[in-house]
Amino acid sequence: MNSGGADMHKKTRILWLLFLLLVLPARESRGAVGCDLNDPDRDVARLFPGSTGFKTNYVSIDKKGGPALLAQIEDRLGDQFQGLYETIDVPYTLYEVFKGKEKIGYIHGVNEKGQYGGLQVFLALDLNGVIKTFYFQKLTSKYGRELRDSTFGDQFVGLSLKDFYRYDVKTGSTGGDAALEKIKNPVPEAEPDFKAALRATKKNLILVDEFILDNKYLPYHQAAGGTKS
Amino acid sequence: MINIFQVAYKNLLRKKARSALTIVGIALAAWVLVSLLGFNRGYEMSLNRDIDNLGFQILVTAKGCPYEAATLMLKGGTGLRYMKADVVAQISKEPEVDEITPMLMQAVFDPNKGESGGYSAYLGVDPATFPKMKSFLEFKQGKWFTDPEALEAVMGYEAAELEQREVGDPLLITEKNVEVKVVGILKRTGTQDDGTIFLPLKMVQKTFDKTDDLTGIGIKVKKEASISKLEDKLYQLPDVQVVSMSQVKQTIMTLVSTAKVMVFSIALIAILISVVGVVNTILMSVMERLQEIGILKSMGATAWDIFKLIWLETLILCISGGVIGAFFALGTARLTDVLIRRLLPYAPSGGLVQINPSLVLLTFGIVILIGLLSGVYPSWKAGRVRPLEAIRSQVE
Repeated sequence: MNSGGADMHKKTRILWLLFLLLVLPARESRGAVGCDLNDPDRDVARLFPGSTGFKTNYVSIDKKGGPALLAQIEDRLGDQFQGLYETIDVPYTLYEVFKGKEKIGYIHGVNEKGQYGGLQVFLALDLNGVIKTFYFQKLTSKYGRELRDSTFGDQFVGLSLKDFYRYDVKTGSTGGDAALEKIKNPVPEAEPDFKAALRATKKNLILVDEFILDNKYLPYHQAAGGTKS
Repeated sequence: MINIFQVAYKNLLRKKARSALTIVGIALAAWVLVSLLGFNRGYEMSLNRDIDNLGFQILVTAKGCPYEAATLMLKGGTGLRYMKADVVAQISKEPEVDEITPMLMQAVFDPNKGESGGYSAYLGVDPATFPKMKSFLEFKQGKWFTDPEALEAVMGYEAAELEQREVGDPLLITEKNVEVKVVGILKRTGTQDDGTIFLPLKMVQKTFDKTDDLTGIGIKVKKEASISKLEDKLYQLPDVQVVSMSQVKQTIMTLVSTAKVMVFSIALIAILISVVGVVNTILMSVMERLQEIGILKSMGATAWDIFKLIWLETLILCISGGVIGAFFALGTARLTDVLIRRLLPYAPSGGLVQINPSLVLLTFGIVILIGLLSGVYPSWKAGRVRPLEAIRSQVE
């Protein structure tokens, strides 16, 4: 091919790229709903006392790794994503929290189906993915007061994905994990929401591990007999 | 043999930067024009659709009662006023009324919503009349409840998504601690219905101890009947306010017209600037090529030949700018939509900028007209060049 022809092809490619960049965003898109903090300025400062700023990142399983990543996440969770709303295109909002220029942690929330309505479980994590704060942003339950009490959320502080790798989200069995067995349901009648809170926490930690911690906790899952890597 | 189009094209390529800048100017004007024409079309379409999607042309509420869920939320769930249910019977007697549907909106405080609690709103509707009036609503799952006292709910798509509900799931009316079963989930509509939780009217009246109260009555008027005549009659009813959707539309259009005049003025200025730019570019080009034009004429080219050549150069610039501007307008329609939404006092749901082929063709027509008009003077001036004077002037 002569250089004139190559130039022409290059120009054509650039024109196509411009066309795609300009025209494609004009198409209507209505994806699934994500899980954002209601008031990020207020909530980040409350969940990370001493923080001075934060950066908001939007990630979805669809864009990050597609069906292969979804399969891996489901394998790590020990359950399939379910229903109309737990889908591959859910946009997750990940807040990176800073103190001055230094990054000090992350905040990430997930939606979860509860017994009587949607749950929004937010976790404030340190840079190693260890829970600093557990927070129900939204909870529709007859036992909302007890579940939102700080004594319930405090039981999660200090745990990481390492403590959840043997937790069976379908049956609620802790698999003998001592740290998880310490987490007590404040109201026996709230069992479905209690289990939903634990499933949301495990899902939340897996997503953070996949999205930002470079699968730091994957070896624990593999050691527990996980099939995919 | 080289034709007149090739000569015109090559002439423009001789001053690439100048030609490119002129094309950019025209493209910007065409972009503004297509976007504004698209907005003019899209806004009215969206507004009409929003009003049609209400299903009724007149809404009767108790005096001072906020009739939109959004307003209710802004007021913190307060401000509800009630009218007695017998108003329905009075209104039904009017010959202009085709269909009528009573509604009761209620809001409850949910302390577990967010850090300091929030409100959940429920709309009690009559299963015998409301679905018929809103026949365009489609279901993603399930169907409407049929028993007016059933502990059942139909959820708008966004409400269901927020509560992660599917058909068969229980839903809790907090504060009242009442459990209802979800029997239907609507498809997205792009309207207020998406965020609404519909419950059977009598069940809401009973649960909230408002057995004889309503917050709204939707009225569909017969096609041949006069809406204003019915409105006049409704104004005579005590302690009610009448919200006519045609009035709402008129009020919104009046509010928006100021913004429209402003943006159309900007478009006019953009077009005038581009016309001046084109005239300037072509005129400069003619002045620089006087000697060349003189030689062409001395070789036998007529004034009309020169006129055509220069006019063609103008047209090429304008058509190129028009094409780029139209594509740019198509590509940035969403962005324009966002910007216009920020500017307007009220923006209906759906796309505000609707660009279709006829709008693009109209813009091309306008751009070509601009090209033809702005090319006349430079082309005429070039055609009048005297060959010997032109050749001598440049030699000197």
